[in-house]
Amino acid sequence: MPWRRLVLIGVIIGPILGLLAFGFTRDARYISSPLLAQPATPFTITLFDGRKLALDELRGKAVFLNFWASWCPPCRAEARDLEAAWQKVKDKNLVFIGVALQDTDQNSLEFLKEFDVTYPNGKDETGKIAVDYGTWGIPESFFIDPQGRITYKHVGSIRAALVLTKLEEAAKSIASAQEGKGDYSPIK
Amino acid sequence: MITFHTDPKQLSSVIPAKAALRIRTKFGLGSNSIIFPPRSFFAPSPPPRRRGKSEGRLTSSTLAIIGALTIFLFLLVSSAIAATAPDLEDRTREIATELRCVVCQNLSVADSPSEMAQQMRAVVREQLQAGKTPEQIKEFFVSKYGEWVLLKPKTSGFSALLWILPYAALILGIVAALWFVRRWSKAKKTRREPAQQAAVTVQAQNDFLTQNLEVPDIEDTSARARLLRERGRLKDELSELEFDFQSGKLSETDYQTLKRESETKGGTVMQQLGALPPEPVTKTPKETPTRAAEQNKLARPSRFRAWQVVAGGVFLLLFGLALGVMLTQSIRPRASENDTMTGDFMTGTTPAAGDARVAMNEGKQAFSQQDFPKAIDSFKKALAADPNNPEAHAYMGFILIQAGHGDGALMAFDKALSLAPNFPMALWGRGTVLYQDKKDYAGAREIFERLLKIVPPGEERNEITKVLAEIPTGAGEKKQPVVPAPSASAPQPRSAQITGTITIDPKLKASVDPNAALFIIARPAGGAAGPPLAVKKIDKPVFPLAYSLSQENVMMQGTPFAGKINITVRLDKDGNAVTRGPGDMTGDYKKNPAEVGVNNADIVVDQLTQ
Repeated sequence: MPWRRLVLIGVIIGPILGLLAFGFTRDARYISSPLLAQPATPFTITLFDGRKLALDELRGKAVFLNFWASWCPPCRAEARDLEAAWQKVKDKNLVFIGVALQDTDQNSLEFLKEFDVTYPNGKDETGKIAVDYGTWGIPESFFIDPQGRITYKHVGSIRAALVLTKLEEAAKSIASAQEGKGDYSPIK
Repeated sequence: MITFHTDPKQLSSVIPAKAALRIRTKFGLGSNSIIFPPRSFFAPSPPPRRRGKSEGRLTSSTLAIIGALTIFLFLLVSSAIAATAPDLEDRTREIATELRCVVCQNLSVADSPSEMAQQMRAVVREQLQAGKTPEQIKEFFVSKYGEWVLLKPKTSGFSALLWILPYAALILGIVAALWFVRRWSKAKKTRREPAQQAAVTVQAQNDFLTQNLEVPDIEDTSARARLLRERGRLKDELSELEFDFQSGKLSETDYQTLKRESETKGGTVMQQLGALPPEPVTKTPKETPTRAAEQNKLARPSRFRAWQVVAGGVFLLLFGLALGVMLTQSIRPRASENDTMTGDFMTGTTPAAGDARVAMNEGKQAFSQQDFPKAIDSFKKALAADPNNPEAHAYMGFILIQAGHGDGALMAFDKALSLAPNFPMALWGRGTVLYQDKKDYAGAREIFERLLKIVPPGEERNEITKVLAEIPTGAGEKKQPVVPAPSASAPQPRSAQITGTITIDPKLKASVDPNAALFIIARPAGGAAGPPLAVKKIDKPVFPLAYSLSQENVMMQGTPFAGKINITVRLDKDGNAVTRGPGDMTGDYKKNPAEVGVNNADIVVDQLTQ
């Protein structure tokens, strides 16, 4: 009888302790972003060439949005891949936007020059766009479909092949269930 | 996943200027030579302050008026600010304390000094000014980052469990404790309380009437048998009374009185029966366990239950202590930006990983204090706990440079780079060795150019650019002639060595055993059998591998490492130089014999022993 009772208590307490232990192994940041399949927050950004670019004006086009900084090694690692991807699709109905975070204009411009980046790039002066897109590690990339909905998010550096695949999906409004992960630098 | 263990900014800051200087001296380098960018880069001196000179002159009365006006304006403005700002700031802070800083380890947005937290506070402030309620603002952050951004989980939905469960567990615990205590004390007092006694009597009488018990043999003289016979007699008496009453021989009143008498007696017998020690198993009427027996069980002070309560208490106490100790131990500042957010305890970081981290920190500290033996010990420990730590390999490389072992250093850096191909520290180290020690300018340039691609603009980058400019550009040649190093301790000039690169034939790459040992064997050209002139063993080599053979690898002391030498290599599966078995791979220098002093004796491992 007492053993049966002990087993019963174990059956109740065991799973609770197990759940607790499992919880400790999780990093809260790896909970998938709530932004997937949600409308992308509109923003207007001043590009480094002085032009203004508003996300709302890009309806009807699939958008690749990339947050980066010149001080972030994984951003440097992916820079050539991004430009290569852009060169492949720039004649299609697609837009690439780079958003520099926590960076000086001079360093950003040097970065763009160094990697021969030709797609539009601007700076998030106040960090508001970064908060709107829930960024915590850069580079972070977002894919937005022609209806202005986020279809995929990737934290960390991304390869050209994945950019092209996810852009195709975005153009067809196919939203991914989970975000992707790569090497990243936490933002400051 | 391989991540950067070191911020590239630490690339130079990990190596103190003094150590760098010693390394320079070891290699006989001038002050303009590179090893590490100087630390002074990180402490720019502030520009000197100068007192401004006023151009014109002001009268004292004008100054007084301006002063008074300034004070008045200041008071006006500050009172206006005081009226609104503290309130807004307080409210901002209040909300910020409930939000998690997304780039920190368990810090709130209010407490974090990070730029991101500042930006988040600005958003909170802005939204407060726009008239949003704290709930709306928190909801905004949740919609962007998910619920984990809240330091206090929501009280609705699944998160409500987090709030309810502890209290539910507490209440359950109290109830359970009360229940145990009550049962325990009840068992002790069963026979003492009159009210309870009465209840027991009634129960015993009921049992007497309802239960059927066997009547034992007449020979059985035990107390139990006597009581059971008495019970049987009383039961018979009751049936007779009933019969007499039914047949009219007894009046209603008499019947009731006599019946009650018998029942009371029966009850007493049942109670006495219950108080007896348990009867032998053979005599137990199995199909009807008596209530009296249960009573008996209750009546005995239960030693088992007392044990249960004590054990439960001890368990709870130990559990609480263990949890408390482990949780407090898991709280610490994040060691690096790639560290976990939740701490050590059960975070998936094994104790070995924890040891490795401690050893790494000790090693770095010892390194910065130039206590190299201790640093070596610590990094070895770190590598024992985690052999795939590129940072530890890179540090070992720097220590080996310091000790003048260019080849060993190169191996360490290669190992680090095989684990993290873009690890800046290891790239820097490898480039430095190739440039300063091996005079392989083309190789060094390639490494520094690679480094240039990943290091962000700043002091390090400028330093790398400077180094790249310093590296001599040979007119098409791959490697510069080796310059003898001005080292007094070397028994022979540095040119008395053979260097080159060992690579694996692409066709054999798949069959390389990662645990194999590489033997580089040098035999005098034209020499007959016998022991080789020099042998070098490299455990777990990483290809392509830069090697060198010199006097120090000679097997028989005193034999000069000179003349024409045949060089072969064997990648031995079992690491034993004597045995040869299937799976071993060999290769030789195609231009054998090599002249001592040659520095491009490149070898391709291209034969597989079947």
